[in-house]
Amino acid sequence: MLAALRFTPGQLRGVLAVIAALVLGAGITGMTAILAKSAVIEETTSQSGRLSVAALSLYQALSQADATAASSYLTAGTPSDEMNETYREAMRDATVALATAAGEVKTPADTALVAELNARLPVYTGLVETARTFNRLGEPVGATYQEQASTLMREEMLPKAHDLQENSLGQLKESRSDAAAFPWVAAVLTAAALGTLVWAQFWLTRKTNRVFNLGLVGSTVLLVAFAGWLAMASLASASHTTRSHEDGSAPLELLAEAEITAQQARAEESLVLIARGEDQQAAERFEEHFKALADPGQLLDRLDEAFASDPELSKNIDTAREAADTWRAGHDEVVKLAQGGKYNEAVELVVGESDTSLWASFTTLNDALTEATDISADRFAEATNDAQRSLSGAAAGLAALALGALICAAVGIQLRVAEYYA
Amino acid sequence: MIRHQIRFAAAAAACLVLAACSQPADMGPPQVDVPTPLPSGINFSPEIDTAPVDESCQPLASYNPGSTTVEQAVAQLDDPEQITIGVSQSTNLMGYIDPETNTPAGFDIDIATAVAQSILGPDANIRFVPMTSGEREPAVNDDRVDMVVRTMTMNCKRWANVEFSAEYFHAGQRLLVPTASGITGLADLADDHLVCTGEGSTSVRTIAEQSAAMPVTVPDFNDCLVLLQQGTVDAITSDDTILAGMAVQDPTLQVVGDAFSQEPYGIAVQKGNTDLARYINAALAQIIANGTWQTAYDKWLKGPLGVAGAPPSPQYRD
Repeated sequence: MLAALRFTPGQLRGVLAVIAALVLGAGITGMTAILAKSAVIEETTSQSGRLSVAALSLYQALSQADATAASSYLTAGTPSDEMNETYREAMRDATVALATAAGEVKTPADTALVAELNARLPVYTGLVETARTFNRLGEPVGATYQEQASTLMREEMLPKAHDLQENSLGQLKESRSDAAAFPWVAAVLTAAALGTLVWAQFWLTRKTNRVFNLGLVGSTVLLVAFAGWLAMASLASASHTTRSHEDGSAPLELLAEAEITAQQARAEESLVLIARGEDQQAAERFEEHFKALADPGQLLDRLDEAFASDPELSKNIDTAREAADTWRAGHDEVVKLAQGGKYNEAVELVVGESDTSLWASFTTLNDALTEATDISADRFAEATNDAQRSLSGAAAGLAALALGALICAAVGIQLRVAEYYA
Repeated sequence: MIRHQIRFAAAAAACLVLAACSQPADMGPPQVDVPTPLPSGINFSPEIDTAPVDESCQPLASYNPGSTTVEQAVAQLDDPEQITIGVSQSTNLMGYIDPETNTPAGFDIDIATAVAQSILGPDANIRFVPMTSGEREPAVNDDRVDMVVRTMTMNCKRWANVEFSAEYFHAGQRLLVPTASGITGLADLADDHLVCTGEGSTSVRTIAEQSAAMPVTVPDFNDCLVLLQQGTVDAITSDDTILAGMAVQDPTLQVVGDAFSQEPYGIAVQKGNTDLARYINAALAQIIANGTWQTAYDKWLKGPLGVAGAPPSPQYRD
């Protein structure tokens, strides 16, 4: 075998073998890298994507349910149709999201979180309904049931929903960095194959005094095309994946956080009145949530900054900011009324049906954030689709180019080998 | 041939073992504790105060109204046009927000209103300020309110910080239990009974010293009623007035046993403001004499407490 390499035909066959191995290697690794990227992007739109969407909407629906249940308690057992509807919708969203999440979880920790939330939801609704019944009967113990429901939500359910969301986002981030990774092995093999091809052509020129070997030239051209496509597809999909994060999922997370913070502030505001002004901690928690939402540099400011160049989204944030300011001013008035013993007026301001009630401000704020969330969700889906599209056909195309390069090289060298036996 | 089969079997077994090991970690049904809703801040082993009780004074002895005039009383108000009164808004029957009308109501509210009217006249501008029991002493001393009428027991410790009126109601600590429990008094409480009471109240100490039961405290005594209805605790102990307010909300519960503590209620005013205290005593004497007291008692407490009830006779120190 080694002896054959002393003669030119043997050497030619050896060169061909090396080129063939490198081109094949580059082709296979390039193709699998692209296929793997595709699969990962597929996954961000499917399993971990669906889980994080479900976890997010679960978290939102639960805090919305709590905010509404607490508010409607204040209406002395006769909430408006809108409030009833909002509570029922939130409960539906929460149960649907919980069922979806249950189908998508992959880790024991997530399974446990879903099971624990599932076990608590009926307990929560039981407390809320008991509170409503006592409230309708005019028995003050209803207030304690409502407080207990909110405690269960605040101290056990919301933290678990938050954990589930964090876990799913972590999984999404992992797949995202996988999808954005550059296929280094394929790139190195391609470079090596190209180098060998070029060297082989110089070497053949010296041996045979002929300038061009058409087969090898063709092979080189095809391999250059291969390298170009591989690089382009990888970079494009990486940039789309990054865009899907920056335009889509990052603002989505921020928006959801703002929405949930507003809902929790709303729940605490109602609790202050449900406790007849005797729950200082609820008042403090309201301040905390509201600061996290509207203080300079906090959530609303961060959203404003993130959407500065986007009129469609920043319009919604402006609306939200305005509603938050109205709410804040109104809340201070409520505190003053409640402390001054004007309980009836305080309640009217918090849950009344007029346009100036805090329920109206809160709803405006919440709706503006929901609309911005919908827009961001569309952007996220769009960017993910673009990433997917930039990879479409790339695997098949790369395989064809690599195969072409291999055949050309083989034909080119085989023609020379044949000359020795002619 | 046989050797090949053995090899094949070994390889297959190895594959199986590998496959079994590489499966995701145990995904069996997760272990979930039975969710039991508990109020935040519930304490199943509260610390029992063991310091000797301050008995250095006569807690019932207030200031003789003498010839204190209404002008002297009005001069003591922060705003001569308005009287601000610290009350509870969450103690059923005593001071609470009527869920149907969203206005303050109860025995304490009626007494406070009558006192205010005798100071500022029948159209008195009264502002009720809701507060927790912990806020009562600072509220009168920091001028947040002119007086506090909020199931406040007169004792020597509190006399050191505020001035009290004469006693306007005589309450006592009792037990609230499910009728079906068979518990009829302190003696029936065993060491596996959980008895709920408000955090920071003297009831914790009384129940710990006088019965075998284990006290459980919650930040707001209203949580006790929910815990009793849910079966988490076996009984509630507090002033009979407060227990009556719970019992009327649930026909399966009843207040049982004799009172095992004395809880004389007084109206608190700022330390040193004896003029106002004296005038309030005059007002209380009048309220008792003209039947207002009895009317309020009959309206709120007669039925729930099950006794006809008589106004306490005032005691003065001078």
